[in-house]
Amino acid sequence: MIPQLDYAFYVWSSYGLFAAIMAWQFIQPRVRRRRIIAELREELAMQTGNYDDPDA
Amino acid sequence: MIFHRLKVGFHRLGSPPTFHKLCRVLSPWLWAGFLVCAAIGLYQALYVVPPDYQQGDSYRILFIHVPAAWQAMAGYVIMSILAVIALVWRIRTVEIMTMAAAPVGAAFTALCLATGSLWGKPMWGTWWAWDARLTSMLVLLFIYLGIMGLYAAFEDRRKGARVACILVLVGLVNIPLIHFSVEWWTTLHQGATIRLLGESRMHPSMMSPLIWMTVGVKLMFGAALLDRARNDLIDQDRRKNWIRQLIGEGATGDNA
Repeated sequence: MIPQLDYAFYVWSSYGLFAAIMAWQFIQPRVRRRRIIAELREELAMQTGNYDDPDA
Repeated sequence: MIFHRLKVGFHRLGSPPTFHKLCRVLSPWLWAGFLVCAAIGLYQALYVVPPDYQQGDSYRILFIHVPAAWQAMAGYVIMSILAVIALVWRIRTVEIMTMAAAPVGAAFTALCLATGSLWGKPMWGTWWAWDARLTSMLVLLFIYLGIMGLYAAFEDRRKGARVACILVLVGLVNIPLIHFSVEWWTTLHQGATIRLLGESRMHPSMMSPLIWMTVGVKLMFGAALLDRARNDLIDQDRRKNWIRQLIGEGATGDNA
């Protein structure tokens, strides 16, 4: 299934780097958006007094 | 009539809620397009195309390296066009898009340099050479990083974006240097193998995965750009009503 290639280390390292960078470009903005939205929700809840502490 | 519609559409994009909606709707489609193109391209690159008669399988690195290099330069040109629009018309959403393009372009430049090194070691016998093409590409990475750093250094995001836009336009001089470096100087890096105009020196059987990967990374650039621009917009407008409404409406956070 996995092709047997010459210079396998160099070829697979390149494809691995590609996969890692694409995954980072997909994941990082989503993680950042979740963090911003969580902060905004908290600010909004504090302002409206409608604050449900999930740990309470 | 069509021109009028385009003009109205362009001006509507200046509205943060409209721009946010566009990013939210368009980004998943671009990611899906990227996944399809990359799946076909990678399958062909690894399973379908034959090994090169001189380089063996190491040439398969070019299916990552070349699209990344093209996108690093195309991304910079797109960023420069956006920078001109941002400086002339002072549209905030365009400023945000310009700045969002820098980290994506930097990622492609870094990928291009790293895969170039991984190809260079077995083929040239060295990871790096201070050759005109490689050095100008490294300069492009530093320009991208400089733009990101300059933008982040300003507390006033709009002022930071405008100053960084000027740096974007200054750095544009490096793009023709990269492109023509293999013609103007004697370089270890090979000359242009694939030509848009004229006959390519690459075997036609190897073209298909390259085209799929090139289209794929272009779609991915668009998707990542919109994702990052959307985040910056939410972050900058966090005190504004439309964001508050959006957060209130989307209980699961999907709308925001």
